[in-house]
Amino acid sequence: MQSMQRLDENPCRPRHFKPPPPCAPVVSDERAAQLLETCRTRLLATAALFAVVFIVVALRLAEIVLLSGGSAESHAGRIRPIAAPLPVRADILDRTGSLLATTLDSPSLYADPRQILDAGEATRALSTVLPQLDAAEIQAKLTSGKSFVWLKRHLTPKQVYDVNRLGIPGLQFEHEERRVYPFSDLAAHVVGYCGIDNNGLAGIERALDERTKSSRQPIELALDARVQFILHEELSRVITDFSAKGAAGIIMDVRTGEIIAMVSLPDFDPNHPGAMNPAEAKERIFNKITLGDYEMGSAFKIFNTAMALDGGTATMTKTYDAVHDIRIGRFTISDYHGKHRMLSVPEIFMYSSNLGSARMAMEAGAERQRAFLARLGLLRPVPIEFDEVSKPHFPSLWREVNVITIAYGHGIAVTPLHVATAVSAIVNGGILRPPSILKLPPGTAPSGERVLTEKTSEQMRKLMRLVVEYGTAKLAAAPGYVVGGKTGTAEKNSGGHYQEKKLVSDFVAVFPMQDPRYLVLTLVDEPHGTKESHGYATAGWTVVPATSRVIQRIAPLLGVQPVDEASPAITKALAVESLQGKRIESY
Amino acid sequence: MIRLGALFWLLLVVSAGFVTFKVKYAVQDIEDELNRVRKQTIAEQQEIRVLNAEWTYLNQPERLAELNRRFLQLAPIGTKQLQQKAEDIPLRPLPPPIAPPDVLVAATTDPPPAAQSAAAASAGDESLPAAPAASSGAPALAALAISPASASELPVAAATLKPGSAKPGAPVRLAKATAGLQPRSLDELFSQVAETR
Repeated sequence: MQSMQRLDENPCRPRHFKPPPPCAPVVSDERAAQLLETCRTRLLATAALFAVVFIVVALRLAEIVLLSGGSAESHAGRIRPIAAPLPVRADILDRTGSLLATTLDSPSLYADPRQILDAGEATRALSTVLPQLDAAEIQAKLTSGKSFVWLKRHLTPKQVYDVNRLGIPGLQFEHEERRVYPFSDLAAHVVGYCGIDNNGLAGIERALDERTKSSRQPIELALDARVQFILHEELSRVITDFSAKGAAGIIMDVRTGEIIAMVSLPDFDPNHPGAMNPAEAKERIFNKITLGDYEMGSAFKIFNTAMALDGGTATMTKTYDAVHDIRIGRFTISDYHGKHRMLSVPEIFMYSSNLGSARMAMEAGAERQRAFLARLGLLRPVPIEFDEVSKPHFPSLWREVNVITIAYGHGIAVTPLHVATAVSAIVNGGILRPPSILKLPPGTAPSGERVLTEKTSEQMRKLMRLVVEYGTAKLAAAPGYVVGGKTGTAEKNSGGHYQEKKLVSDFVAVFPMQDPRYLVLTLVDEPHGTKESHGYATAGWTVVPATSRVIQRIAPLLGVQPVDEASPAITKALAVESLQGKRIESY
Repeated sequence: MIRLGALFWLLLVVSAGFVTFKVKYAVQDIEDELNRVRKQTIAEQQEIRVLNAEWTYLNQPERLAELNRRFLQLAPIGTKQLQQKAEDIPLRPLPPPIAPPDVLVAATTDPPPAAQSAAAASAGDESLPAAPAASSGAPALAALAISPASASELPVAAATLKPGSAKPGAPVRLAKATAGLQPRSLDELFSQVAETR
């Protein structure tokens, strides 16, 4: 009974255990006590373990609920099971926010021919929505018995919708991305294009390849698509009108150096760079503005005159001999439209006298000329974002004959971008700023470098205005916009010989001249005279009228207020004192 | 006693289990919903990209020029159409007088400035143009027609001023009351209109 008593007290026993009457041999007291002891110890250990675990759980609960202050929730909120798939490349926008380049999902269509129920029917249906596919080829593919055949790469969203609507089983789409240029050829050279593997191969796509891939922030260009279109259209017209080989143009904000438009013709469609005729591809992809080295002809007289005036070797009233031809070595320099008299500096500029310009340069000397051109950045590649920039060509040995020819823009070949940048500095008060194809924050301008005095800049503005009022660029007049500029026509140099029939005609215009805002440089490669131009293919008949049309169309878009050109304020601001009261002969 | 306790714990366990189950499924549903919405967002974002591209494509300057040539024949803005100052814009001729009598009455009440704004609020559109109109004279007011917002209220207002209309005394009184406000330019007139509002 005693053992039973003890069994009853055993905490290990089931709660309602009634020990059976002792009929089996009872274990000895000692052993039972030992057993019970072991049992109790184990129980305690287990209970302690559980207690610890529960306490930990309870503490953790208390910590999460009471002490963490909601950090657990924010942590839960941070977990995002699906992240939005980012496009492979960032978008490129123009200054008004129009898309110039974007990356779109462009699914490719493939088929599992084993799942196609009726290949003939499927082919018929497919050719109704994708008429460019060859029906026989599709039929062959669909009956091939393979498990995977490409039917068409890079479908448009509408085509995807149409194919889906056919409801043919066995047709599938593969997700692919593709660079799309909605304005096609409009800004082809600026934006550039991408290869099949989405690597930038030209223009901004190439120059900022890393940037488009690393950041999804769209790239904003300084370009204005509307202005670009106008320039593009007018230059295309010049090419057609004068059956020219090519043309190029650039519009720049002279205060900031931003490039508002940049056109090089012929161009290409960056959506299909591979579709070009290989023979033409090189010519088309070539950006004449940044890569084309041209002898700019008389347009260089801007630099020559600025050099002489800024250096103090010439003044606005000083006269030079334009009567006698200059003979140097085997060369004879003469005037195209000679006045055969002494000409003052404004007259030399206005009538574009080679002789006068050459004598101004000879007076200033080679050293000064070279230093001035270097200061304007004409002897080094233009610092711009593009990879496609070319080095200017100039004589390594600056002899007297070079001084003379450079005075009127021969014997030195620079890109139109060089000229645009340097002329911007000349008219904007004398500050040379690096050109920028990227949009600058409104109201800011990159820090520039003073390259000539404000006084020279003002004088140059007056001289450039004269050219449009009385000189070679009368057809550039855009009433109300006070255009000024300088024309240039150079014979193309091939193999050391100038070819009389192959011209490059260019015109640098700036408006409004009393307070310059924009520069328009146009250039046409190998124009041919027409009946309307009286057989002339010089700048005055080709790019000058085009520039006038461009300015009249873009000025309202760019917010340039027209003024009354005859108003005293304007005439006074642009009057050349030395010509006051004189009757100015027409060019 | 023991049984009651056991029942309580059993119930607690079952209800705890049930609540856990419910919460778990509710969370799962919300998560599914969230994923669905996220997927949809992404799909819509993609769609927006496509639509943006398409919009730009449809806005190709070349295409717009062609559409303009075919349907609108708008010409580029000429320098004549760009005026620097509002005064340079010629004024429109006056519309013929059609004067609803009640407007005239409202205009002739000539309230003090504080009451005027209250009247403006209560009387609605018609009493508003009356005050500036009186101060400026009819022709300048007619130029207001350039602004589309005021176009609707204009004929009535102008009509109230027309000398020799039904109650000739009224405009004179108003003009006297605001004689010091004779605007010298259209800009001034605009600011006066803004003030009286």
